[in-house]
Amino acid sequence: MKQTGDSRARRALRFIAPRLFQFVFVVWAAYTVTFLLLHLLPGDPLIAALSVKGGDATPTDPAELSELRARYGLDGSVWDQYVTNGLAALRGDLGVSIATGQNVGDMIARALPNTAIVAVLALLIGVVVSLLITYWAFVTRAGWLRNTLLQIPPLGVAIPAFFSGLVLVSIFAYGLGILPSSGTRNPLSPILPAITLAMPVGAIFFQVFSAAVLEARASSYVFTAIAKGVSLPTLFFRHVLRNALLPSITILGLLIGYLAGGTAVVESVFSRDGIGRLTVDAVLARDSNVVQGVVIVVAVVYSVVNLLVDFSYGLTDPRTRPAALRRRVQDARNQAVVER
Amino acid sequence: MTELLQVRGLEVEYTTRSGTTPAVRGVDFDVERGAVVAIVGESGSGKSTISQALIRQVAEGGRITGGSVVFDGRDLLQLPEKSLRSLRGARIGFVPQDPSSSLNPLIKVGEQIAESLRLHTGLSRKDAAKRAVEILAEVGISEPAARADQYPHELSGGMRQRVLIGIAWACEPALVIADEPTSALDVTVQRHVLDRMELLAAQHDTAVLLVTHDLAVAADRASRMLVMNQGRIVEQGTAADVLGDPQHEYTRRLVAAAPGLSSGRMHPRPVEVHGEDTRRALTLGFAERRDADRVPNILEVEDLVKTYSLRGGLGDKSTLVAVDHVSFSVPRGTTYSLVGESGSGKTTTARIAARLVQADSGVVRFDGQDIGELRGESLRQLRRRVQVVYQNPFGSLDPTMTVEAIVSEPLTAFRIGSRAERRETARALLDAVRLDPEFASRKPAQLSGGQRQRVAIARALALGPELLVLDEPVSALDVSVQEQILQLLVDLQREFALSYLFISHDLGVIRQISDSVAVMQHGRVVESGSAETVMSTPQDAYTRELLAAIPGAHSGP
Amino acid sequence: MKTLLTRPGMIVSALIVIAALALTFAPQLFATHDPYEGIPADQLQPPSAAHWFGTDALGRDLYSRVVYGAFLSLATAGLAVVVGVAIGAVVGLVSGFIGGRVDFVLMRIVDVVIAVPSILLSLIVVAGLGFGAVPVAIGVGIGAAGSFARVTRSQVVRVRTAEYVEAARSMGVRWPAILVRHVFPNSARPVIALAALEVGTAILAVSALSFLGFGAAPPAPEWGALVSYGRDFLATAWWLSVLPGAVILVVVLAVNRLARAIGGER
Repeated sequence: MKQTGDSRARRALRFIAPRLFQFVFVVWAAYTVTFLLLHLLPGDPLIAALSVKGGDATPTDPAELSELRARYGLDGSVWDQYVTNGLAALRGDLGVSIATGQNVGDMIARALPNTAIVAVLALLIGVVVSLLITYWAFVTRAGWLRNTLLQIPPLGVAIPAFFSGLVLVSIFAYGLGILPSSGTRNPLSPILPAITLAMPVGAIFFQVFSAAVLEARASSYVFTAIAKGVSLPTLFFRHVLRNALLPSITILGLLIGYLAGGTAVVESVFSRDGIGRLTVDAVLARDSNVVQGVVIVVAVVYSVVNLLVDFSYGLTDPRTRPAALRRRVQDARNQAVVER
Repeated sequence: MTELLQVRGLEVEYTTRSGTTPAVRGVDFDVERGAVVAIVGESGSGKSTISQALIRQVAEGGRITGGSVVFDGRDLLQLPEKSLRSLRGARIGFVPQDPSSSLNPLIKVGEQIAESLRLHTGLSRKDAAKRAVEILAEVGISEPAARADQYPHELSGGMRQRVLIGIAWACEPALVIADEPTSALDVTVQRHVLDRMELLAAQHDTAVLLVTHDLAVAADRASRMLVMNQGRIVEQGTAADVLGDPQHEYTRRLVAAAPGLSSGRMHPRPVEVHGEDTRRALTLGFAERRDADRVPNILEVEDLVKTYSLRGGLGDKSTLVAVDHVSFSVPRGTTYSLVGESGSGKTTTARIAARLVQADSGVVRFDGQDIGELRGESLRQLRRRVQVVYQNPFGSLDPTMTVEAIVSEPLTAFRIGSRAERRETARALLDAVRLDPEFASRKPAQLSGGQRQRVAIARALALGPELLVLDEPVSALDVSVQEQILQLLVDLQREFALSYLFISHDLGVIRQISDSVAVMQHGRVVESGSAETVMSTPQDAYTRELLAAIPGAHSGP
Repeated sequence: MKTLLTRPGMIVSALIVIAALALTFAPQLFATHDPYEGIPADQLQPPSAAHWFGTDALGRDLYSRVVYGAFLSLATAGLAVVVGVAIGAVVGLVSGFIGGRVDFVLMRIVDVVIAVPSILLSLIVVAGLGFGAVPVAIGVGIGAAGSFARVTRSQVVRVRTAEYVEAARSMGVRWPAILVRHVFPNSARPVIALAALEVGTAILAVSALSFLGFGAAPPAPEWGALVSYGRDFLATAWWLSVLPGAVILVVVLAVNRLARAIGGER
């Protein structure tokens, strides 16, 4: 099993190259798919946006319209727009909002921190609570308790985020008055949105993780460990946890996507200025430039997370062989998709 | 108190959605210090459940409902969890069944042994690691220091089982429970692993409770034997007594069926076909056989080569020669067997012969005709004359179809007969494989392994083939069922003038059914000839090793 | 079937789904008031015997509005599933059965579609198509198509490489017959189960989009829109948001429970 330096470098390259390629591909393709959907679906994006913005005062003068088209990067053939906007995005220029006239990149940059803090907090709450409940289900001797605990995630998946958000607001903001109901200024403001978002996200993680734990629990190597005289907590943390986390972290990317989507609802409920609300407002204003910009940013974030997950997987699992790894990652993601 | 372990009235039951079933129904036995006691039984006999119940760790859904397990004066079933844990691994070792999944894939093997040492002997991390390396050496692993630093997936199956044995013996226990320790291993590896266990037991004066389905293994290794059937011990005594003079009717059947112990080719018995109508139904799909200008060999294989490329990714491609210049021919109406261990290329050879896989080079002639280049419809017509029976009766039958639909599917595929005629044929075929035609409306999930394999054979017979390729058709079955299926194959061969290409890893099985044998190793045929000659006067060293590794040689009758 | 009846959770779920379907197709049988005409004197009444779910600011009976909203919410969700299943199943089937390069290309595209969060994908479609129930349904359907394609493909591949398929081939069964007799029946169940699960997801997605204001225009009583309407009265008339939200929750729970049963879980 000894390797020369050369082959080690080549192995590393072999591991990294396809993932980098996939990264670039996903971002490019997300741009392309969005572009096609926005531009090939019936209706002129500019007219649609202007009519929302101006109502009856929509300019109809062709000269004025073509000037506006040039300003918003919507001039020329569809193919020209595709290439020009794509190249601009590559330079970091996401164009100008039709609705507000602001630079899309700036708008996103302003909204991103507000969303990020809620998303990270939600992910943390979701994962930690999942771990705790699963651990509890693992060590308990009562079968009914285990079954009840494992029934929690279907509940989490079925709760509409706008509903749980409103209930939380009624209780903690209006009822008890201990947490702010909306806005971003109060340092405690991310808490309720994060809890709201943590429910569905945590439920998805819980399903994959608890399934992996139960599978590990029934596996032969856990039996071997029990026959060795290992205690339950040691069994969980030493033998089960790592094996169960491996398939679970592969869905982190998927969760990031879900978080990004979930913020659209949650930020509207809590009136927070973030990516989600930005997107909703952009769609309401039919502002295709902002929508396009948001999709590119989300695709980049998603790809970065997946890249990190793949690398960490490669580092933690000694069995890492590209083919087998890809298959396992794929399987885990498939399962997560099914259970969402 | 002389007995190390006293089991009295042990009862275990499993609760599933469909109700509660007893798995162990009141079992009494003793294991004295330093003795090797074997529990023998077929699948579902409850033998593995006993082994788990002894350390109070039955599988999910299982519950110990009664009895006592007194180990060294203490009842393990009454002990608090904590005291029990201090016995597990320290005083009672356990060698589990499946070496491929019984080691934690994410922990280095040395550390997996060291964990047990640290838990029970209070060794420091460093000393435990050092001792683990010594244990690896004791269980017969070469370069133990380097191996200790490897992960389970980097070790072969035999080595992993040695590591598990090392874990079991790490703290020098008084008792080791070994649950089918070698059934997942090749015979030659099996022998070495069992030898090593025997040696360790002798050195450390450990009592061993050996759980096995293999009567011959038990006969070789154990001083005393318990025979289990349906959760009860039906017979116990010294190995020589149980095998030489079995008292219980079940034991007698088991002893008679064990392939390693009896020998010689089976003799065909007539297949009872009731009445002319049934016979007509049975042969509905049979094509007219041309008796003129028949060539003597139904199948001739010349110089087959098949290589697989193992892709390690970009750049380095290594190739595996699965079949390496293999030639043989199957005389009409006889059984030709390919025998070898896993990776010997026997299955690939059979698949090429059945035209399921294309060879890289070489010629396959069926009934004098080169079938290597057949395509489309002419290949489909060939399928009528060559049928395949697969190893795994759980995988080769479509779970959504009824038995009747499965058996008549070949007829449907070739549009033979009306729907009613096909139904009649399916029933006649089930009758011919000695399966109650009542089974016709069942689904595969409602059948046992042996019944499924009968269905698979009935299906293979539907078109009246001339050659059956049987790929390990009995290796997934219990011995007594194994024997019934082999007898059935022998009977059908006579009745329908079939030729068999038979694949097996088990020389005992081969001996019961074959006329000629080819021994394969690393893709090559190392020896071939009539079954009797090869078995009695093996020429090749590998054949001799295989024969020597057959359990039952030590004390068989 | 017997085990199905012995499980109370299943029975309750089945009853809820049946009730939801009844509301969808015959709301007039269940409504107690006119869903659009309010009684001004009865405005903002809490739940009572006269108004089971209370009334809104215009004095409209909330229970009747929820009853009439079932069609909008559930039919839209149903249409979304049909769109998603149609696209996803075809892509997955083609990808899995043909394999090779076609499979590679299709699955990379699916990777991308999955990379974009489904609600965002729905929003993009809505941004392109405009607002209303049908665009929302198409948007949600396209958002779900990716995962659907992936699962269908993995099922087809699993069955295609199963031993009984090889056994059928070795018996001389032709490919079309193998497809019909073996591949469809064996891959159908997980795909149907996922479709059923997708119904629950689609109800959530549709009501979320309506909540955000992209669905059927007011005063249409779509469930998500009802919750959204109640937001302004959260401090004073809790029932306006909470009861429609609870209805969504209960229906989705019931649908998912049945879906899991179809999928063969417990």
